[in-house]
Formats: sequence, structure tokens, C-alpha cells
Amino acid sequence: MIYKIQATSQGHFTRVQHYLLYSARQKPHGEFNKARWLYFGCSQLLVHTVRMPDSTYGRSDSYRVATTQDKADRSPKKKKGGTKDMDDLKKEVPITEHKMSIEEVCRKFNTDIVQGLTNAKAAEYLIRDGPNALTPPPTTPEWVKFCRQLFGGFSILLWTGAILCFLAYAIQAATEDEPAGDNLYLGIVLTAVVVITGCFSYFQEAKSSKIMESFKNMVPQQALVIREGEKVTINAEEVVGGDLIEVKGGDRIPADIRVVSAHGCKVDNSSLTGESEPQSRSPDCTHDNPLETRNVAFFSTNCVEGTARGIVICTGDRTVMGRIATLTSGLETGKTPIAKEIEHFIHIITGVAVFLGVTFFILAIILGYSWLEAVIFLIGIIVANVPEGLLATVTVCLTLTAKRMAKKNCLVKNLEAVETLGSTSTICSDKTGTLTQNRMTVAHMWFDNQIHEADTTEDQSGASFDKSSVTWLSLARVAGLCNRAQFKAGQDSLPILKRDVAGDASESALLKCIELSCGSVRAMRDRNKKVAEIPFNSTNKYQLSVHETEDPNDNRYLLVMKGAPERILDRCTTILVQGKEQPMDEELKEAFQNAYMELGGLGERVLGFCHVLLPEDQYPKGFAFDTEDVNFQTDNLCFVGLMSMIDPPRAAVPDAVIMVTGDHPITAKAIAKGVGIISEGNETVEDIAARLNIPVSQVNPRDAKACVVHGTDLKDLSQDQMDDILRNHTEIVFARTSPQQKLIIVEGCQRLGAIVAVTGDGVNDSPALKKADIGVAMGISGSDVSKQAADMILLDDNFASIVTGVEEGRLIFDNLKKSIAYTLTSNIPEITPFLFFIIVNIPLPLGTITILCIDLGTDMVPAISLAYETAESDIMKRQPRNPARDKLVNERLISIAYGQIGMIQALGGFFAYFVILAENGFLPSRLVGIRLNWDDRSTNDLEDSYGQQWTYEQRKIVEFTCHTAFFVSIVVVQWADVIICKTRRNSVFQQGMRNKILIFGLFEETALAAFLSYCPGMDVALRMYPLKPSWWFCAFPYSFLIFVYDEIRKLLLRRNPGGWVERETYY
Amino acid sequence: MSSSPQEQNREQKEEQKEEQKEDVKEEEVKKDMKPEDNQNQNEERKAEKWEENKKEEPKESWKDCIYNPRTGEFMGRTASSWGLILLFYLVFYGFLAGMFCLTMWVMLQTLDDNVPRYQDRVANPGLVIRPHAAEISFNRSDPTNYNQYIQNLHNLLQRYNDSIQERNDLCMVGEYTEQDNEPIKKVCQFKRSMLRQCSGLRDSSFGFAEGKPCIIIKMNRVIGLKPQGDPYINCTAKGDSPLRMQYYPSEARLDKMFFPYYGNKAHADYVQPLVAVQLLLSREDLNVEQTVECKLEGTNLRNDDDRDKFMGRVVFRVKVSE
Repeated sequence: MIYKIQATSQGHFTRVQHYLLYSARQKPHGEFNKARWLYFGCSQLLVHTVRMPDSTYGRSDSYRVATTQDKADRSPKKKKGGTKDMDDLKKEVPITEHKMSIEEVCRKFNTDIVQGLTNAKAAEYLIRDGPNALTPPPTTPEWVKFCRQLFGGFSILLWTGAILCFLAYAIQAATEDEPAGDNLYLGIVLTAVVVITGCFSYFQEAKSSKIMESFKNMVPQQALVIREGEKVTINAEEVVGGDLIEVKGGDRIPADIRVVSAHGCKVDNSSLTGESEPQSRSPDCTHDNPLETRNVAFFSTNCVEGTARGIVICTGDRTVMGRIATLTSGLETGKTPIAKEIEHFIHIITGVAVFLGVTFFILAIILGYSWLEAVIFLIGIIVANVPEGLLATVTVCLTLTAKRMAKKNCLVKNLEAVETLGSTSTICSDKTGTLTQNRMTVAHMWFDNQIHEADTTEDQSGASFDKSSVTWLSLARVAGLCNRAQFKAGQDSLPILKRDVAGDASESALLKCIELSCGSVRAMRDRNKKVAEIPFNSTNKYQLSVHETEDPNDNRYLLVMKGAPERILDRCTTILVQGKEQPMDEELKEAFQNAYMELGGLGERVLGFCHVLLPEDQYPKGFAFDTEDVNFQTDNLCFVGLMSMIDPPRAAVPDAVIMVTGDHPITAKAIAKGVGIISEGNETVEDIAARLNIPVSQVNPRDAKACVVHGTDLKDLSQDQMDDILRNHTEIVFARTSPQQKLIIVEGCQRLGAIVAVTGDGVNDSPALKKADIGVAMGISGSDVSKQAADMILLDDNFASIVTGVEEGRLIFDNLKKSIAYTLTSNIPEITPFLFFIIVNIPLPLGTITILCIDLGTDMVPAISLAYETAESDIMKRQPRNPARDKLVNERLISIAYGQIGMIQALGGFFAYFVILAENGFLPSRLVGIRLNWDDRSTNDLEDSYGQQWTYEQRKIVEFTCHTAFFVSIVVVQWADVIICKTRRNSVFQQGMRNKILIFGLFEETALAAFLSYCPGMDVALRMYPLKPSWWFCAFPYSFLIFVYDEIRKLLLRRNPGGWVERETYY
Repeated sequence: MSSSPQEQNREQKEEQKEEQKEDVKEEEVKKDMKPEDNQNQNEERKAEKWEENKKEEPKESWKDCIYNPRTGEFMGRTASSWGLILLFYLVFYGFLAGMFCLTMWVMLQTLDDNVPRYQDRVANPGLVIRPHAAEISFNRSDPTNYNQYIQNLHNLLQRYNDSIQERNDLCMVGEYTEQDNEPIKKVCQFKRSMLRQCSGLRDSSFGFAEGKPCIIIKMNRVIGLKPQGDPYINCTAKGDSPLRMQYYPSEARLDKMFFPYYGNKAHADYVQPLVAVQLLLSREDLNVEQTVECKLEGTNLRNDDDRDKFMGRVVFRVKVSE
């Protein structure tokens, strides 16, 4: 089912926890009029044009913007050579044995229906076909995994940097007598960073996969086979085609078998087809489709009850399950969204680096440097653009999030998948509970001919109606009494809304509502003792109970009833208005009808309530109410009112939720409607046809927002038709889908530019899980295959954890942006010194070692601490990001980080540099052009502005002191930077400074800077020198400027949404 | 048809709706019409877009990235957008430059014109030799070989010419010439002729022609430096055979009267004392590389720093060939 939540309108709420309720109520569905569903008008779809996706169509269409019209026919998948097998696997199951008679099957396998195979034959077959086991997916060797960590994604950038460094050093070594070691050290450090980070993330993922391995079920399977007429229990791996097998309730079916005889046998095919109902098995062929026919039972499904005997027709990888497993392991998964973002980021960074490098290369040539020098500069500038610390920062941030999610029972197998859920725009799921808060609440009531909004506040401050109304009291009484839900014990101290309730979701909602507004329901029930009760059932569609009245003198009984509004209305002859019982006339009926429509139109689940005081003469005290054979009046009641409930959707849910189920279309549609997936008021083509009484072919499919697609139809759809369905319907149900079809659906959505998450637990889901951008499997109920295929595992099987995943994913995306903005900013004060060194020939203001101290030292903790930043606004109310537009790193981020904040930082650093040199005797005017003499070892009497003369070593100490001061200045301006990077829109004063890690980071970087400057021995080890205290304050004005500048920018940003400031600076 | 309760609800509702409000149907019909119109529009729009796509796709190349004639975008921005962002950056950088200049100006205001704020890094002056070379190697019989060296020495001694120095004052030998409070600082005389053989007056080749080259050693100027004791230069040959050396002025003393120095503003004509050392190479010493280390001795100034090989000392190599 495809379901889109339009958060803008209230009309599309889902009512989800009823899903299970309703699905449980569905009777097994054998004989449905399938024709109605099968021919969802695909052909007509093409007659009408496709509405082009356009952002103006609103949020629900946003994920469809980036569509590509791939005209290639879908079914032959266009993939590179050697994929014939894959295409084959994607086709439907080729089993034909179900259509053969038992004798034919026996002949085919040379077996006997009574005696089974001979041992010799079995041994022969075993050698021919191999053991009956799934080939485990080819496991990637550990070193390949390690190399992937070492050379994947971001590491490439650093490797390139390192290689360039070594290249530059090689050039220097070949041309100069005493080459400066900087490039060599830098190359070594870069290599070390990549290797260490690679090891870190490798071990991180190894840890996750260790948890994975613990899932593996090691118990060997046994099978009862009949060979040479004797029943023997053998290892399931030794079962061969043609074996006669017996299975009984509780067994796992050891291979695909053609049933030859069955006694009340039912199998649970849920892991294969997704059908929740056990299916009966018999020897007769009931369907052409092997998956639907009753005379085939499948490998690794469970026999629930009864016994069956069958001939093995497929073993191992040739079984239906095996084919799915092979298909799954053969699927290639695309890059994760975050990997794509990092790639985009690398492109931007490389672009900037090469641009700067080439510009200054040309400049250097113009300034008269030699070619070799210019090449060294070029490499130096390019390497200086590499944010050395960012790889580690990103890895640590993702790891932290993964750990946080693991605590909430979301195990993430692949670090990069942490973010994926956050950007997911489409969820394919058959678990509707994923999408709502699972917290049914009363939203509206209708009584006294008026719709009232329910007051759900704990202190009843939001009352919108007169609580003393007699009608209301009656309604509350009915709702409270005709209700089996009750609070679990020992929660009196908790607020009512937070208490746990034993009972069905809508009854719990009513209970809480009444408890809130009228006080203890338990007391009410005690006053009105229950004498009889008919619980809800789907034929009656009502629930009633009979109580004694509150008044001990009144011996009448009170009958209360609730249920489907129109059923209740049918039983009523009067209606309570303003506390007075009035006959139900047409006018009031219409009023009821309007109210019902209105509430139903809001997507709410509406219940009607009525009551009657049974006349004492007919039902005297002690009357024996028989609920089986109803011996009392259940009509001529008095209608009291309506109450409607919703399960609010989680605001976080992605744009579109595609619900794919193995259930029958009718069941699926009923469930979809029941839980609001096909919302009230939206119709399928068939509905419209039925309503207007015209043939399906005359209906304009454009009118139908909803549609139900039968899985088998998918086969016949072309790619374009598939796209049309996905694009033009907001509420789609895919029913009866096979694993291959699920895969097609996922691929279809991805083709439309959506980032698809798939949830599932069965083997049938695993190809889709693997293909999806993020596959989410169940830790407890999930099959091993699905867990292998998934990227994320919900350890407690709680789908609500997905929401955690979405939230964490979005948060980490935002926070990574902040981290990157913070880290990149300091790139400018790191590069500009080198540029000025080349262009105006001043002594180098900042050296390689100090740059590394910033990137790998002081910047690390603050950058990582931004991962702990709380969200600025309700990220769950946001739309999922559009991968085409909302990039992790965009030009605006670069503009802010490099063009604005970075420049201020650079000035702060240069100011400190000039202060130190000036205070030591070298005024700025003296410095310009001094470089050649300054760096000349043989010049030991270099004159400063005051006429003093300096030896090489003396002035180098001053230079290194400048490096230290520049470094400290960057730390000082980075204080301001980390504070402004905390928020992208809000003021820091709104956000607060509650991030303890960040505060720790501020102190840590300062302490580290002080340590590096003052620790004895640093002058030898890192050539960093102690600073005079006043030099620490040089960058303070700039730090302050950064803070003020950015606060003003954010103020303008908030004041003028969509304005120029936002367009140019909001990253 | 069996179906879920919800569905039945809906069906009933629909029936009721149809019975009770016939006009609803009419509305529905209208509704049915409207989308058709929309659809036509959509159709057109789609068709347009398709055509656009078809037309544009081949054209939409890197050229469009630079200049897109349809939108008038140059490098992804329109002219006004470029103008605005450039203006912003102009103003922004202008402001930053202003702020930087302001802070620099404030900082420069705090500085003294004559004495740098910190001198701790030049507390111990360095020694330098002239001619300026770490290795002095020449053929004594070929003047072109050593011309650059003697030229270098002549240049250095230009300021020490007797004619110039006679204008300067004679100071008390062995005493600091302290004049902290005098507005005009006097300069002590150091005549070139004091270097005698190495003055380049009598022998303009500074002994290079004879194979007995003069090396002039000078101590770096440091403002306010007052070396204690009796500073003198001591040179030693780092070889097996001791090298004969002659110092000028005799005893190789750097007289205290030349200290302290008051900086190039107040003390513009100041000349620092020099010591010349003539290496009296014998015939055996020719063609052999001689390593000589000269140190500043007899004072509190350091001459043994591990890292700074020129602090209070200087090492040079001389190789004279025939």
C-alpha cells in the first residue's frame, strides 16, 4: 500500500493499532472476487497524461521531483554482463510440479509414493544435487572489509593529499640540498590519520557484525523421510529431490515439497509470502501460481498443525526460499545517501582546492618563482585544503549516533546507514504501526447536535463545552460503563495520559478521556454494577452491557451500547438533546449523518453511543440477562452521541509510506481503509466506478487518489506504467506481492528519486531489504536471511524504534553539517598564511605542525561535541530532505565557512602574527619581501625595523612563536565558531549552552593549546614556544566579531524567511 | 460480498449520501469535469516539458554551466544575483579590512619608536663574518677568484672610512657610552685604519693575494646591549696543526665604549666595532681546508647554544689554493 501522510491536512490520519485488531478479525479469504482487483486500470492510466511532478503540488510530491524517464523496458533489467542469473531469479518461481499429478511427480523423481526413494538413489541424488542447504552468501574476507574502510569515501581525499605530500617531498629532495621535512611529515600524518580512522571504523563495524553472528541459529534441522519404506530421521541437509517426507505440526519444512496427502495440515507461510494467516495444505492443485496453490509446502516455512506427506521437489538453493536468498545476496546495493553526500562534499572541496592551487600556481609563476617551486606551492595549497580531522570527526559522530541508537535497540550494521533513515522519503512496510504514535486519543465528540473538541489536557484547562450538560454526563456514563479497558494497577501517581491501560486501543482512549473529564471510571463502574455484557464482535458491530443504576431506589437496569454509528442509530428511536429525550426525526438523522461524515472525513474512527433504562415491569430486579440468546431489548434505544478517536501519525514519518503486503487485496484494502491508509473520501478507480455505476474503463484514473495493485499485475506493468502509479496516486496498496515484486516496487521508487526504507522480517522481504537504501529487519522474529540483508536491525522488534532512527538520522545530518561548517572554517586561517607567504614574501605565519595541531588536536573535541547538539526545531515536523537539493555541504556552507567566518579568523591570526613580530622589532612594513633573507640560513645578521640584527635561529624562534600565536588565535576564534555553529537558524541565546560536551570541548581545546605552548620541551618537540599572556588576547576582538556577525546574520535570517540572507547563507 | 466493517460503513454511507443528496452527484460530475480541464493543461504542460527536455538535454552541457542563455545565468547566477553577492562581499571585506587596519593601528600606537617591546630573543647577539660566505675558497694567484670577497669587505668598511669616522666622537676606552637621556646620541669612532693590515687601505686585497686572507668578525647590533666584562674575539683552528692568526685591533677586543646601541632612529650613524683576523697560512696550509671557529669571550654573553650556531660564535672554512 502506498500511503502518503499530508501533515498539512488533518484528513489523512492513520488509525493504526487497529490494524492488528482488524487483520485478526479477517476470516481466511479464499474465494474473493479477484476480478475486481486484478484489473486495476493500468491500460487506462496511459490514456491520460501524467501530471508532471512539480514542487508546487506540495509536500507530498516533493520526493518525486527528481525523476528520470528511463524508457527501457523494465522486465529485462539492464545490467552488465553476467547478470542473466539475476534476471532469471527476479522472475517468478518456475515450479510446475503442483500442476502434475502425483504419479507424474513420482515418475519425474523416480520415487515411490509408498516406499520413497531407495537409499542408493538418494545417495546418487545427494551427490548430483549437493546437500539440501542454502549456500551461505559469499562472505567478504576481513581484509577486503578493512580495505573498504581504509580506501572508501572520505579516505580517498586524505590518501590523495598524502600522495601529493610525498610527491612534493620527492621533488624537494631531488632539487634542494636540505629539503624542509614539512611535506614528508604531513604525508606521514595524513597516512596515519587514514589508517587509524580506518581501523577505528573497521572495529566498530566488526563489533556490530559480532552481535549479528550471535543470531545465527546453530541447531541442525532434522527431517523425517521415508526411504525404502522405512521412516528414518535424517539431517535435513541430506534430504534430496524425490524423497518422501512427513511433516507434522511444529516442524519446519525441510525442502520444497509437493503434498501427496494431508490431514488438517496448515502451514505458516508468513516468512515467504507475508501472509499472516496459516494456510491449509492439501494434495489438490488450487492455483496456477505455485506460491498460491495448496499442494506445495515450502522450505523453511513452518507446519503449524496437522500432518502432511509430500515428495521433495526442490532442495537447497533451488527451493523458492533458496532462490530468494540467492537473489538477495546477488543484489548490488547503491551508495548510502551519506556516502553520496560525502562524495559531493569531496567534489566541492577538491574544486576549491584545485581552484586555489591553480590560481596561486599561476600567480607564483607570474611572480617569478621557478616551475618547481610553483609546483610545490600548488601541491602545498591543495593539501592544505584537505581537512585532516574531518574524517575522524565524521566517523566518531556517526559512531556516537550508532551507539545511541543501539541503546534504543536499533542495531546499525553499517555506520553510514545511521543517517539514511533520516532522509528516507518513502517507507515500504507492511507494519502500519510504524507510522503512528500508537496512542489513540479521543479527538471529537458530537452531542446536543454539536461537534465538540475533546479536551485532552491533563488539567482540563482546554474545555470547550459545558461539562454539566446532561447529555454529556450520559455520554460519559455510556463511554465509561460500556468499556472493558482498565488502568493497570499501581499507576495512581502517574498523569492519566501516561498510564498504561489493559484493553483495546479505542477503549483505552475512551477510558482516559472519561477519567480525565469525569473523574474515576472505576468508581463509576462500582456505582453501576455490571450485570450482563455482550463484547464487540464483527457481526453485531456493537458492544453492550447492562448495569444497575446509581440510585439504589431505582430498580431499573441501565443498558448501554456503543458501536458503529450507523448500526447504533438503527437501533435508536429517540435521541438525547439538551438532556431531553426526543424522537429521532429526519432532521436529527441528517444532523447525525452530517456529524458522522464530518468526523469520518477527518480520518477519525467514530463510535456511536446509546443507552436505555429498561422498564422495571419487563426486567425486574434479578432478571436473568442471557447474552448468548439475547432475551432483552436491544432496539428502541436512546441515542446519546458520537465520539471520534485518532491515532495521531508520528510527525516524523516520511513523505510517502508504501505499504506492501502479502495479504489478499480485499483484506489489504479493508485494512488500509480501516487504519486510514486509504483515507476517508479517497477512492480507488473501482470505488468510483461502483459509485457512479459506470464501467471501470470509463473512470478517469486521475480522480482516484488511492489504488490497490495486485502483485501479479506488477509483472505486466511497464516501467512507465509503474512510475505512473507511484507518481499519481497518493495512497497505493500493493497486495499479494512476491519477493520479486517487492524488489520491483523498491526499484520503482528509487527510480523516482526517493530514498527508500524497507521494513520486513520474512525471507520474502530480504531482496527488497537489500535493495532498499536502508533495510530494517527484526531482531527477534526476523529470519537470518532478512537480517543478513538489512542495514539496521530492531533488536526488540519494536517498530517505533524506526522513529528513533528517523530522528537520530535527521539530527546527525544537521549536526554533521554543523561539524563540517566548524571544521572547514579553520581551513581558511590555515591556508591564507601560506598564500601570503608566497605572494607578499612574509615569514610563514603558520606552519604545518601547528596546522596539524589544530586539525587533529584542538578542533577535534569541539567538532565532535556538535554531534551532541540538540535539534533546533522540531526536526520530526520537517519534510524529509530532498537529496537533490538539501546537500550536506552546499555552496552556502562553503561561502559562510570559507568566505566569511574563515576570513575573520584569518585576520585574527594575522593580527596576532603581526603583533608578535612588531613587538619583537619587525614592523609589518619591514616584513613584506623579507622572506628570502629570512629563510636564508647563512644570513645571520638580518636587520629588523629598529636596526637590531638577528641570527637565523633567533628569528626562527620568533617565527615559531608566531606560529604558536597564530595557532592560539585560531583556537580563540574557534571558540566563537563552535558557539555559532551550534545553531543554523536560532540564536545561541535561544538554543542555550546545555551541551556539556561542547563546554568541555571549549575548555579542552584551550587547555591543549596552553599545554602545547607552555609545556617545557615543546620547543624541541613541536617547535612551539611559550606566548606572552597578552598575545592570547590578540584574536579576542575577532572572536567577538564572529559571534556578533553571525548572530546578526541569524537574526536577519529569522526575520526574513526566504529572504536574501537565507538564500545566500542558510546552509 | 464479504468485506470489513469499515468498508460496509462506507458503502452504507455512500448509499445514504446518494439517496439523500442527489445534488452531490451533480457536484461529483462537475468535479469529474474539472480535472479533465486540469488534465488538459497538465497534458500541455507535460508535453511542453517533454519537448523542453528533449530539446535541452543535448544542449544542457557544461557550456550552460558557464552561461545559460535561457535564464541569463552566468555560472549559475543571474547578473543581479552576482551583483548582489559581489557587493556584499565587497562591503564585507571592506569592513574587515577596516577593522584589521584599525586593530593594527592601535597596536602600532602602543609601540616605542626606539626600543622594541621585547628583546628576549636577541639577548645574546650573534657573530657574523665578512666576507659573507660559510666557505671561503679561492686561488690566491687569480684575482678574479677572490674579487667578490674583497669587494664584500670594501663595502662593509665603507662606513668605517677615516674620513667619515673623524666626524664621530672619541669615547672613553673601556667604558659604556651611556646616553639614555640625551636627545641626540653621539656615535663613537671606529676608524678603518685601526684594522691595519686588514683595513684594505694599504693592501686592498686584504691579504687574499698573499694567501693570508683577512676575515672581519662583527657582533650583531642589539639595542641596549651592554656586555659585561671585557669582550674579545678568540678564534681557533679546528685542525691538528695550530694556525697562526693575527687580530686587529690587537687583542681582538670589542671595546665597551661602543655599547649600548640606541637603535637606528636615534643612533643612525652608529657603527659597531669590528675585529679582523688574518689567517697567517703557511705554505703547508695551502690547498687544505681550514676550519676556524671564532667565539665571543670574556663576557656574560652566551656562545655555546646547542641550536644556534651563530650565537656568540661563528664557524667558517677557508681553503686557499695556489
